Amino acid sequence: MRDKMSHAVVGTIMGFVLSRAGFSSWDEVHAMFTLTDLRLVLGFGMAVVLLAIAWVVIARTTNVRWAPRHLHPGTIPGGLLFGAGWAICGACPSIALVQIGEGQLGALVTLAGMFVGNFLYAVAHERRFRWSQASCVDM
Amino acid sequence: MSKLPFWGVGLALAGVALLHWFLTRRMLAVSGRFSALVNRLREGPPEPGGDMTEAELVAAMIAATRAQFGETTEPTGPDTTALATEIKRTNSALLPQSSVTHVVFLGSLVLGGLASQLMGEATSPTSVLRSSRFVALFGDGPLAWVVLALGGVLVGFGTRMAGGCTSGHGLSGVSRLEPGSLVATAAFFGAGIAVSFVLEVLS
Repeated sequence: MRDKMSHAVVGTIMGFVLSRAGFSSWDEVHAMFTLTDLRLVLGFGMAVVLLAIAWVVIARTTNVRWAPRHLHPGTIPGGLLFGAGWAICGACPSIALVQIGEGQLGALVTLAGMFVGNFLYAVAHERRFRWSQASCVDM
Repeated sequence: MSKLPFWGVGLALAGVALLHWFLTRRMLAVSGRFSALVNRLREGPPEPGGDMTEAELVAAMIAATRAQFGETTEPTGPDTTALATEIKRTNSALLPQSSVTHVVFLGSLVLGGLASQLMGEATSPTSVLRSSRFVALFGDGPLAWVVLALGGVLVGFGTRMAGGCTSGHGLSGVSRLEPGSLVATAAFFGAGIAVSFVLEVLS
């Protein structure tokens, strides 16, 4: 129960932050990808740098080690397909949910598409691609 | 609604990722929750008699720890339960999460978007997206929904294939200089830029 409350707190704050940052706006994402407005990219880059410092501090002061994220044959094609989809529908997975909360109800269709796509890859992976996805627990 | 400056975005995103780690003891990663829910739908509920006993769970967790981190974390003597507790305290990613937890997290993202909307300017819901550019390209009828569905399918398929999305690879992975995350992030930003320039030409 406490774990679920924690997830609810983080999720709500994250949804609010993504909305206020502008990641839930198709126009803002389009401006980011066409490099006409670097605000979101710079913000993302700054977050990565801050987190890199934080993980180093955490790793040095505790005995925590995180699961590696290996390169596998699906990394590049998967990334390319994801990027293309993001540019088209203006949403990465968490953003579709934020858009729904904001009343951009077309994102209900986007969200359904995401679940269908995820399902299709799960089937395709079993039938065709059998490489290891050791880190694909994705946590 | 006034936009956050870039440094506000940076501080807020880093803050969310750190809060996620400290509160849940897991790295922020959203598409994995989609995958877990899809797996739950495909495989059905966990079998009633098939639950692992405490001892089996501990053994499985030790095996998983060794598989990921090598043999360096040798359990001290027969006290494996202490080790299991330690794993749970320091890095609970090795333990499966319930579907309810995934739904709670995803649902709270909706709640966060709603809160942001209610605290901002009053705007009514739209059946497509609040984007004049998207509407100019694809309209606000059936074509727009087909485009959104297609984009969504690409995102769902691609993130599962690449093993992560903007949060898991982009934020959590790149900040740890993980090879798979660096390559995946370069790929999805690259494809996003290419496709957006094509859309720019079309509009």
